[in-house]
Amino acid sequence: MKVTKILGIALLLCAAIMPSTTQAQLYKSTYFNVDWQFNAPLCTDFANVPSGWGMNFEGGTYITSKLAVGLYGSFHTNNKYVEPQVLQLSPSSHLYTDQIQSIFQIPFGALLKYRFIEDSMFEPYVTAKLGTNFIRMSSSNNVMDFYTESWGFNVQPEVGVSIFPSSSNRTGIHLALYYSYSTNQNQCLTYNLNGLSNIGFNLGITF
Amino acid sequence: MKKLFPLLLLIVTLASCQKAPDWGKLSNDLLVYTHYDQAFDFAQYNTFYLPDSVLLLDNSKEDPVYISSNDIRARSILEALTDEMTRCGYTQVNNRNEADLGLIATYIKRTSTYIDYNYPYWWYDFYYYWPLDYWDPYYNGWYPYYPYPATYSYTTGTLAIEMIALKKADNTAQKLPFVWTAYMAGIESSNQINIANSVAGIYQAFEQSPYIKAQ
Repeated sequence: MKVTKILGIALLLCAAIMPSTTQAQLYKSTYFNVDWQFNAPLCTDFANVPSGWGMNFEGGTYITSKLAVGLYGSFHTNNKYVEPQVLQLSPSSHLYTDQIQSIFQIPFGALLKYRFIEDSMFEPYVTAKLGTNFIRMSSSNNVMDFYTESWGFNVQPEVGVSIFPSSSNRTGIHLALYYSYSTNQNQCLTYNLNGLSNIGFNLGITF
Repeated sequence: MKKLFPLLLLIVTLASCQKAPDWGKLSNDLLVYTHYDQAFDFAQYNTFYLPDSVLLLDNSKEDPVYISSNDIRARSILEALTDEMTRCGYTQVNNRNEADLGLIATYIKRTSTYIDYNYPYWWYDFYYYWPLDYWDPYYNGWYPYYPYPATYSYTTGTLAIEMIALKKADNTAQKLPFVWTAYMAGIESSNQINIANSVAGIYQAFEQSPYIKAQ
């Protein structure tokens, strides 16, 4: 009974996203987004200051009128100044310094996008992104840099809308809200990063 | 697909551009690093000896250069060390052979002095460093022993203060234990020792080392 129910839902979903033959002639098969990115790391006390120092790139191909597959990549930097303090580096060593904490991320991978309306002025959509994330976690002071680098898995659900002011031109504005989680593990001075969550938005162009 | 290649190229190019921090936010404040031997009981010792000079390490000079206490820069550093050791309950003695503890101050002016405490024989590479037989002619041929493994790269304008447990010399192994190191950077301005920063660094080093306390 349960299997029948799941199959039924799956069939309904497939029916919803499968285009008719005539629809297939209408939609543009590829798309690209180039965005400015605003990002805020969550649940960490390291470099947890929102910033707009990042960009997002995304491109895909519609395999149906509503469903697209593609690739994504972005980069972002969050910096935070921390007043002078004494850090206990080990049971027998201490460091007094002020510092600029920095998290630099480069997530990239594959995506699955579903738009609710096609060939309209407003195209709302949801996207699931899955890939890897490179994180460089660093602390800088007047004398030296301390840093660690790591790779982790990245998952990023996203909701957004593509806005096409002109019906004759498929170049428009792109706006998206996202949450991302990466499994990266870094340690820098006395700070540990055991997985990193982010929330943010992208604003740019789509074509 | 032709559109994809420029886009990928753009991603790779821009991704290499990490936003540099705003260095202007960093104060010209000190960086003070301290490290000590946890097995050493500072409370069991009461006296200390402080040489009347600060050693200057400079790339351009091969022979040891000592800044004597007649120079206000050295005098300020030595007075701050004396004040702090006295505040911690230790008594200064004038005969180095009677002291429990010895302190040495070294101003590293050279661009980069790499010191590997895991391999204390670096001492011999810097023959112009503080000679151990300064403390006792008997120590000629001895080498320093750092109980805490650590590697440091001293950069321009660094003041290093080291504490030697003179009464804990290991006669068998011919080792003289260095039980506390304080390393402070950011003490140079206009290519000269900044006296105020040097003194502030010494105070900070002792403040973050509360275990240095005589009984």
